[in-house]
Amino acid sequence: MLGNEEWPAHREVMSSAIEIFDRRVVRWHRDRAARRVGGIAEVLRDIARRLLDRLDDTTQRFTQALDVGGRGVVAPLLRARGIDVVSCDLSASMAALNGGPAVAADEEFLPFAPDSFDLVVVSLSLHWVNDLPGALIQLRLALRPGGLLLASLPALGTLAELRQALTEAEIALTGGASPRVSPFPDLRDCAALLQRAGFALPVADVEDLQVLYAEPLRLLHELRASGETNALCQRDRRVPPRALFPAALAALPETDGRVPATLRLAVLTGWAP
Amino acid sequence: MDDTGEAKRQPPIDPRLLEVLVCPLTKGPLEYDREASELISRKAGLAYPVRDGIPIMLPEEARKLED
Repeated sequence: MLGNEEWPAHREVMSSAIEIFDRRVVRWHRDRAARRVGGIAEVLRDIARRLLDRLDDTTQRFTQALDVGGRGVVAPLLRARGIDVVSCDLSASMAALNGGPAVAADEEFLPFAPDSFDLVVVSLSLHWVNDLPGALIQLRLALRPGGLLLASLPALGTLAELRQALTEAEIALTGGASPRVSPFPDLRDCAALLQRAGFALPVADVEDLQVLYAEPLRLLHELRASGETNALCQRDRRVPPRALFPAALAALPETDGRVPATLRLAVLTGWAP
Repeated sequence: MDDTGEAKRQPPIDPRLLEVLVCPLTKGPLEYDREASELISRKAGLAYPVRDGIPIMLPEEARKLED
């Protein structure tokens, strides 16, 4: 199922049985990334800003927001808009970067009372969740009626170049391949998930961002600094062959001597009824 | 007497958090024990630690209540 890039269908039926991501490892990766994430704050802030631009599309005023996994960049942007913010992250060290009231919390078991917020913002932090419908339902319940969920997550197509290069290099080296890039949901699934989670007026659209790297290894360093290293339960736990990453990076397509990395950003909006 | 040595100098929780936090497992109410720097969920029988003012609302980090 992991070799297949589709978000598994009928997840809701089996959600208690399927563990795609190792949440202990996700937490550890975010703890580790908390020390380095400052180095890529500019990119993360740019992505967060694009997401928060959507707030200008509505005339509604927001006063109390929950920032989920904002990596220290979302909360200050919300406060600059005059909104009171509570931040949460699976990693306490990452939560501490938000400079306001913060909580270490698991998106799959959220510790927030019903009707606590009028805005929930999740910038690039829902894609390591096993039970995405369950997490969305809990976020909806934390919202007051008329509250807004604004979320971005990497959709199918994200890191497609890297995924292909890694698979081909691994097959060439070892005769087989293991999942090294996460399965991402496609856009249709995102809208359906919002609807299933009980949001009104669910909308999912996509923004493609392309980052060009002069030094391909930097892509891997930046993924690590954002806590985005492999946490799949089915990951190959052996140390990869020494030649794997150099071979894969060398095989990435080049544009004017630079290597592109695609981030296909699904932007989700839904209102609590 | 329990080992509150570590907890003595813990900064208090932001009062705004006390208004919105519930137990992640039972969604029931929490009691704040400032001395021990813990948030207690009687229903779940768990005490969640508060470290550097940050409540750690993760069941695997919580202390099981004895009674």
